[in-house]
Amino acid sequence: MLNRITTLFAEAKDLNTYRMSNKEMVIEIAYISSLCDESKVSDFILVPFQKELQPFDDIVERNPQFQIIQDPAMWASIILRGFVLLSVKGRIYALDTARIIRNETPATQVETAILGPQLALSEDMVDSINIIRSRYPSPELAMEEKTIGSMSHTRIMILYDNRHVDPNVLSEVRSKLQSIRIDFLNAAGQLERKLSGKLGLLPTIIITERPDRVANSLQRGKIVLLLQGTMFALIMPATFYEFMHAVDDNYDSFWMTRMLILLRYFGVILTITMPALYIAVISYNPELFRVQLAFSIAGSRSAVPYPSFIEVFIMLFMIESLIEASLRLPKYIGSTATTVGGLILGQAAQQAGLVSSIMIIVTSVVAISNFVVPVNNMSISIRFMKYPLIVPAIFFGLTGVTVGIFALLCYMTHLRSFGKPYFRIFGPIKAYTSDIGQVSEE
Amino acid sequence: MRQNKLIQLAIVLPILLATLSGCGFKDIDKRFFVVAAGIDRPVNNPNRYLVTLKLAVPSPKIEPGSAKAQVESVEASTIAEAVRLIKSRVDKELDFGHCKLYLLGDRLSSQYYPDAMDWISRRRDIQNVAYIAIGRPDAKTVIEMNPPTERFPGNTLFLQLGKDGTESAYIVPVFSFDFIRKAQERGIDPVLPIMNKEKEEYVISKLALLNKNKTVATLSPNETEIYNQISHHMKKSTVTATINGQSLVLAVNKISSRYRIVKEANGSHILKMKIYISGIFEEAPLGVYSSNWSKLEQKFNEHYEAEANHLLTKIQQAEVDPFGFGLRYRATHAGSDQTWKAWLSIYPQLKFEIKANIKIDGTGISD
Repeated sequence: MLNRITTLFAEAKDLNTYRMSNKEMVIEIAYISSLCDESKVSDFILVPFQKELQPFDDIVERNPQFQIIQDPAMWASIILRGFVLLSVKGRIYALDTARIIRNETPATQVETAILGPQLALSEDMVDSINIIRSRYPSPELAMEEKTIGSMSHTRIMILYDNRHVDPNVLSEVRSKLQSIRIDFLNAAGQLERKLSGKLGLLPTIIITERPDRVANSLQRGKIVLLLQGTMFALIMPATFYEFMHAVDDNYDSFWMTRMLILLRYFGVILTITMPALYIAVISYNPELFRVQLAFSIAGSRSAVPYPSFIEVFIMLFMIESLIEASLRLPKYIGSTATTVGGLILGQAAQQAGLVSSIMIIVTSVVAISNFVVPVNNMSISIRFMKYPLIVPAIFFGLTGVTVGIFALLCYMTHLRSFGKPYFRIFGPIKAYTSDIGQVSEE
Repeated sequence: MRQNKLIQLAIVLPILLATLSGCGFKDIDKRFFVVAAGIDRPVNNPNRYLVTLKLAVPSPKIEPGSAKAQVESVEASTIAEAVRLIKSRVDKELDFGHCKLYLLGDRLSSQYYPDAMDWISRRRDIQNVAYIAIGRPDAKTVIEMNPPTERFPGNTLFLQLGKDGTESAYIVPVFSFDFIRKAQERGIDPVLPIMNKEKEEYVISKLALLNKNKTVATLSPNETEIYNQISHHMKKSTVTATINGQSLVLAVNKISSRYRIVKEANGSHILKMKIYISGIFEEAPLGVYSSNWSKLEQKFNEHYEAEANHLLTKIQQAEVDPFGFGLRYRATHAGSDQTWKAWLSIYPQLKFEIKANIKIDGTGISD
């Protein structure tokens, strides 16, 4: 066995291959030391083998942690997942001794809630499942494991409630997972893009780090995908409403949370349409404003040398680079970017006569109301949506914006999330209820 | 196949859009906003038009007295030509989108006004909610004036005529859509407020009665108030009566009126109008609280009935119908030309029977 393994692997310092003998037998073991917990290796294999209190082949046979491996083709991948491979009397066994370096189950950072649970999912799938199971103590919780990625062999786990899950959605998810061709799968977003098509303007799968959102979704019959190595779970199917819905909406005061939901919708409409409307109204239909506003805009714009759409592009470029810069910068100098960009550039751009004062307000409304969307992947998709609307606004004014919004609405109503209508605002997708569970995958 | 469809869509959509879009791309700072327009007949050349436009000069600061406006006026044989000539004198594109006031000169409105209204009703960028008024002595003088405390050009006009600012019983704002409608409808005739220039102020307290072609009569401020009460149920108004040489003034709280046109046994028609008004004293001698209110109310009724009767008779004698009595008659009778002809013969002989019912609600804060 050892010869075969050493030929399989490139020359690697951390690949340990030993041949050991005691009075009774000779065994061979192979493992990658950096992936394994060496104390486990010694506790389970080395020590009992040397002490000889019990015949070693007996131990291996009785302990269910030692799995018999029949197929030599699996050896390499088994070793690479942190298993010890050992050959005892011609039989090959594998023992899980994996040691995974991961973040200690951290506090929620991407999707925070004030009065909600503060624990996020873990980067280790087993820990995540632990968190989810303890929040969802139901015997109906089913799990299927799959591996995706021809190189990365990323383990993913499909979680669903056996009784509430919609079998059509489940089979669609399974078949889509089956058809994914990818070398490396590193992050949840990658899988989301593979599952829902890369050209989609809006996400149809929620990416979340919140275990309470996961538990809620499971209870509503949704399917949750967990990836080894990322702390985000994928939830499908999802409606537009659910992207607009923060977990806080169930925890805080009823009336205020309804207000906040309205506010989020309003914010989304503003952030998508404001730049386009600015161009359309300034350059085509100034009679839309009240007189006072029209005059003050005309006054503040009279120093601006460029047409309105150049002005919009300047400001949008500035705000987008600001957001991008504050994301890319190391945390310690991150606040510099906001200070320089927000205060100095914004004020100076207006005083220099590069943009009008109204444009500064438009830009900040666009940026801020973009951030009220609670789910991050939706927030980023919406950040893009204002650009397609600007084009018709430049050429056709208010008519163009109207047609653009209409086209956008058509697109949204046309979207389906795993067969479920996406743009249903009233009421989330209902859970599927049946008295017996689903048939598991054959 | 799918791609073909996408390409088709990409071609068709812009073409459709291009046919829909209105005026071209023009930034707001490259436009000259007209805030008021006046249309006159010149004194020495009564067949031509004198068009006066008040153009707002925008400034980023809005302070009292900071309003700057440029006034352009040009004489031409048509209004459209005059506007084009003004365009050749200014540096920015004219935009009527914010023009809230169209003033017809007194001379124009007392000759023949439909031509000017035709121009106002046809232009796409002229708002239907613009106000129409008559400028005295002519539109140009009124428009040229710059009220010294204006915050931005035209603001005084907008506030004075609209309901945002002052609400006066003597001002009857008339929207252009309303005016155009009334100028064409059989059975109702338009009215227009008259704007005077007095020192550096606009004075709007009179009402002109127009038939389908020209001004035929002018109502005094007092008559304007009664017209406003009967026709628009204007609450911020007063009712006055003189009792024993002392004048008592009632501030109106509630007002309503209704009327019926009744055919008498002898074939003549009577218009029976009932007016209900209740209000609180604003001016009254001390001790009015303990006096007999029903007697006071009686006096008010008599006084009001006489005034209203006088107004209606005056309107009738001017052969116009701003209340829309004829429209009511047409609406409640068979819809044939015969009805309209019948009304034309009824109206000059119509008798008015007005019953006022004025109620005193209180004497104000002092007794």
